[in-house]
Amino acid sequence: MEILIQLIFSGIALGMIYAVVAFGYQLTFATSGTLNFGQGEALMLGALVGLTCVDTLGINYWLMIPLVCIFGALQGSLVEVVGVRPAIKIKSEFGWIMSTIALGIIFKNVAENVWGRDDLRFPSPLPEEPFQFLGANILPMEILVVVGALLMMLLVEWFNRKTIYGKAVVATSNDRDAAALMGINTGIVIMFSYALSSITAAFAGVLISPLTLTGATMGASLGLKAFAVAIIGGLSSGFGIIIGGLILGIAETTTGFYISTGYKDVPGLLLLLLVLALKPSGLFGKTAIKKV
Amino acid sequence: MNSSKIIAIGLAIVALFAFPIFLNNDYYIHLGTTILIYIILLFGLDIVVGYTGQVSLGHAGLFGVGAYTTGVLFFHLGMPFYVTVPASIAVTAFFGGLLALPALKVIGPYLAMVTLAFGTILQILINEMSFLTEGPMGIKLLKPSLFGPEMGEREFYWLSAVAMLLSLVVVHRILKSQLGRAFEALRDSPVACDCMGVSVYRYKVYAFVISAGFAGFAGAMYAYSEKYISPNTYNNELTVLFLLGIIMGGRKSRLGAILGAVIIVLLPKLLDDINLFRMVSIALAVMVALGSAVALSKGITTRKKVLAPVIGTIALALFSLWLENITDWRLSIFGAMILLVVYYLQEGIVGFFRNFTSALRAKVVQAQDLSASAGEAYANVIHQAAVKDTAAPILNIESILMQFGGLKALNDVDITIKRGTIHGLIGPNGSGKSTMMNVLTGIYIPTAGDVKFENETVIGKTSSEIALSGIARTFQNVQLFGEMTALENILVGLHHSFNSNLLDVALHLPRFTKEESSARERALGLLHFVGLDMLANEEARNLPYGKQRMLEIARALALDPNLLLLDEPAAGLTAPDIKELLAVIRKIRDHGITIILIEHHMDVVMSVCDKISVLDFGQKIAEGVAQEIQTNEKVIEAYLGGQSTTA
Amino acid sequence: MLSIKNLKAGYGKVEVLHGINIEVPKSQIITLIGSNGAGKTTTMRAITGMIKPTAGEITLGSENITGVDSHRVARLGVAHSPEGRRVFSTMSVTDNLLLGAFPRLTGSRPKGDVKHDLEKAMELFPRLKERRTQLAGTLSGGEQQMLAMARAVMLNPDVFLLDEPSMGLAPILVDEVFKTIQRLKSEGVTMLLVEQFAAAALNVADYGYVMENGHIKVHGPADKLKNDPAVIAAYLGGSH
Repeated sequence: MEILIQLIFSGIALGMIYAVVAFGYQLTFATSGTLNFGQGEALMLGALVGLTCVDTLGINYWLMIPLVCIFGALQGSLVEVVGVRPAIKIKSEFGWIMSTIALGIIFKNVAENVWGRDDLRFPSPLPEEPFQFLGANILPMEILVVVGALLMMLLVEWFNRKTIYGKAVVATSNDRDAAALMGINTGIVIMFSYALSSITAAFAGVLISPLTLTGATMGASLGLKAFAVAIIGGLSSGFGIIIGGLILGIAETTTGFYISTGYKDVPGLLLLLLVLALKPSGLFGKTAIKKV
Repeated sequence: MNSSKIIAIGLAIVALFAFPIFLNNDYYIHLGTTILIYIILLFGLDIVVGYTGQVSLGHAGLFGVGAYTTGVLFFHLGMPFYVTVPASIAVTAFFGGLLALPALKVIGPYLAMVTLAFGTILQILINEMSFLTEGPMGIKLLKPSLFGPEMGEREFYWLSAVAMLLSLVVVHRILKSQLGRAFEALRDSPVACDCMGVSVYRYKVYAFVISAGFAGFAGAMYAYSEKYISPNTYNNELTVLFLLGIIMGGRKSRLGAILGAVIIVLLPKLLDDINLFRMVSIALAVMVALGSAVALSKGITTRKKVLAPVIGTIALALFSLWLENITDWRLSIFGAMILLVVYYLQEGIVGFFRNFTSALRAKVVQAQDLSASAGEAYANVIHQAAVKDTAAPILNIESILMQFGGLKALNDVDITIKRGTIHGLIGPNGSGKSTMMNVLTGIYIPTAGDVKFENETVIGKTSSEIALSGIARTFQNVQLFGEMTALENILVGLHHSFNSNLLDVALHLPRFTKEESSARERALGLLHFVGLDMLANEEARNLPYGKQRMLEIARALALDPNLLLLDEPAAGLTAPDIKELLAVIRKIRDHGITIILIEHHMDVVMSVCDKISVLDFGQKIAEGVAQEIQTNEKVIEAYLGGQSTTA
Repeated sequence: MLSIKNLKAGYGKVEVLHGINIEVPKSQIITLIGSNGAGKTTTMRAITGMIKPTAGEITLGSENITGVDSHRVARLGVAHSPEGRRVFSTMSVTDNLLLGAFPRLTGSRPKGDVKHDLEKAMELFPRLKERRTQLAGTLSGGEQQMLAMARAVMLNPDVFLLDEPSMGLAPILVDEVFKTIQRLKSEGVTMLLVEQFAAAALNVADYGYVMENGHIKVHGPADKLKNDPAVIAAYLGGSH
């Protein structure tokens, strides 16, 4: 029984990471109708850069976080400028899908060459002794993950609702041309949403790394699973992705333990297929009213 | 096909078969076989990516299913070639259908992700289910022994060449038939496609299934060719490689698929040899720089546009000189290539040359040769509306309620449409007219109430079912299949007249050829009916606005409807166009077809409608003949306005 | 105020405007009428950077705004209520109006009193007042047109571009729209009005340009145009 509770708690932490990355998908999709198929690699780069800061440069974990966020912003902006902007200009969906995939491939290859192909250990900023809760072991880091993820998402929501710049972002998601007519520089808005999306991914990377191993391959399946969460929750509902993340995280940890680690990725992917087959707008999303 | 093309193809086939005789080296022959196998897969992938426009990231997984079906049948049951290959095709087609079920309820990036998920699951399953697939250890095979001893490299190459040619013919026939038109139509306007009786969902599934069949065929051949299969081959990178092949070669083109396969097979070889790579990248940089200089001097392009490719290729050349070992950076080169191709070579190499040559000589659109079709062929293009029970109304709209959240777009509306009449539906914007249209054609399902067409309820039927039962429509915003010609647009409307299946199409059986030629004749007749026969071979998106509207009406008539719904057909038309429109509407009515007309142009409505229903804020506020409506106080107040603003 | 000289523009390879000249003096309502496809909306789009002109010059006051990006043209004081209204459907009426004042709230234009202007807009467009928290996507076509116009007014623009406000609206709503334009006229607004519904447009405008196939066919004071038989024949026939 304790094992189950433990799996649930690890699943929650894992799920929150998926939720934060999924949040990044929502951000760019809302403003530009595009997503970064290399989102997983954004997380991976954030984690590895963070590791270099902490290990090689000896920077304190908490100070490292803003540095990694700056890196994420730059990386996200690069993806937007090189991969997405040209596609939007020529209105090619195929274009940004392929180019964000291509950039993801390049980032992964670069990471392999710079940091090597082996997985590395990320030193934990919090004490590594678990404490007891409901009979299960919980790592303090896991709590940090949950808190950090929630904080990040709340911050963005507040920004969107309360500031005029946030409203400008929402307006851009509604109708890009009309937003431009309002004096909103939609190019900057889109770049901003990509920067923010990579910031959240990089942030998620440094949160999860102390709990697992860090390496060039960590991003691959993560990007896909985070997408599953975005779909399950509904691409327009922030609350939905948290629920989706939790479902996925817990499903993954329990499958990994009770069935086999080889199959741990399967429930998430199956869930994705099921949701899309039955309720494509997600469990919490709103079905768009078709206007002909 | 003209004679020079036939000669060229003949020569190519001879060269294809002669290749291993002249280059009798197993390594190169094996490369050739791999290319042929990839070509088969790319033909199939092109259907999904090039024609229906869906991005599929799961084809490596399907390729794996094909390979493993053959591998498993060979390894566990010792099945021969002529069993494993059809089995692979069938099983992979089945998986393609399985993938299509969730994938095709969604679009664009969702679909891409779903296919990615599917491909990933397939790879995991192949890896984990070792009782069946031997897991990571893989399966060893022998080449088929069709004529005695096990085949050698050369014999198998010829077998693959036959396989490729077979696939080429089949794919070509499919794409030129009603199936191919349906695939293109569903990319251009899914809504119109459904309303023309071609179920978008169903045809997307067909596209996936057919594409998967080809992938399975390729996979089976691949297993025999490699004589060893293992799970890690069929990964996401292979899928991306396939996509690169299609885009680089050129979409919607057999030649493009062939070219693409050649490139993606030879590319990794190129990236293995650092010296070869250096030479090629330097040559490429020089070519691009020279080409840009020429283009700039001729004024074809701007400095800004050539900057990226020039800098990119020079950087690549410098990078190649700096590197000791290219293999580690293979994937980055590969990613950079994708970026380059996606933005600078969108139409692929084939498309690039096509545009190049057509820019040099003006494109001549062949005007339709009318001498072939005699006048009589035009006689009965509009089938007299099937007269069932003349007394009973053709359409009964009963207490329809359509609610979106708190908004009642239609609030308890009752309308009876008499057979053979032109019934107008007018009302201010937001009164519910277009909502009603969408309810009648299955795009919306009403919150309450019923609609009976010929005494059968329409509610719950899909748009394409409704279209096939006799209700056709046009759209407020013209929804033509833009990249298809006027004739092809009508042919899509005539899709319902085709009973031939995949086999008839692939083998060009008489059932198909007859249906195709009579459909073409009828389509021409319909174009003549609306005065567009001279523009039959013009792309729909190039037609002037007024003619586009006419084309939409002709396409709707192709459904042999008993009820035609026209949604603001006069919007944006000039006075002479409107006159033509009225004439066509009257002609249609004279054939016994009932018409419901939504319009804002009061003169159009008043002059041609037998009866008019007026909606305002989702409710019917008046009904009657033109004079009654024009003098009805409620209508005047809500719609015609108290004081006219004209001087 | 706004001056268009020899403007050529189009979509891709197709040139739609073949060199047109339009003058919009301060505090006047200039109308551009013509049938569908004549190039009226293309002209509007060329002014506010939604498409880039291939030749010609557009000046706002002394500033050359030819080919300038949409957001910069707005910040320079040109408000554009586009064809089809294009309100922000998932945002409230109030938020839509606030976004109209975006350049004022972010320092690109003199701020003034945004709150006061918001209330004034509600007075000018009473239908919006009752619906201030309602989501713009749930408004009717006529209400959305009002919102689009009010949103443009919130910029405190030097020039107001109004594109096909009557399209898709029933006659009684068209009445209301043109009454609103009259009100704006009495406030001294400088406006370029594109309309298919020529009768009402010429009634409210000071000067008119009649467009056909990308050329200005004829132009003159609105009263004179109303009685020009060529114009009447092509555009004033039909409904009303």
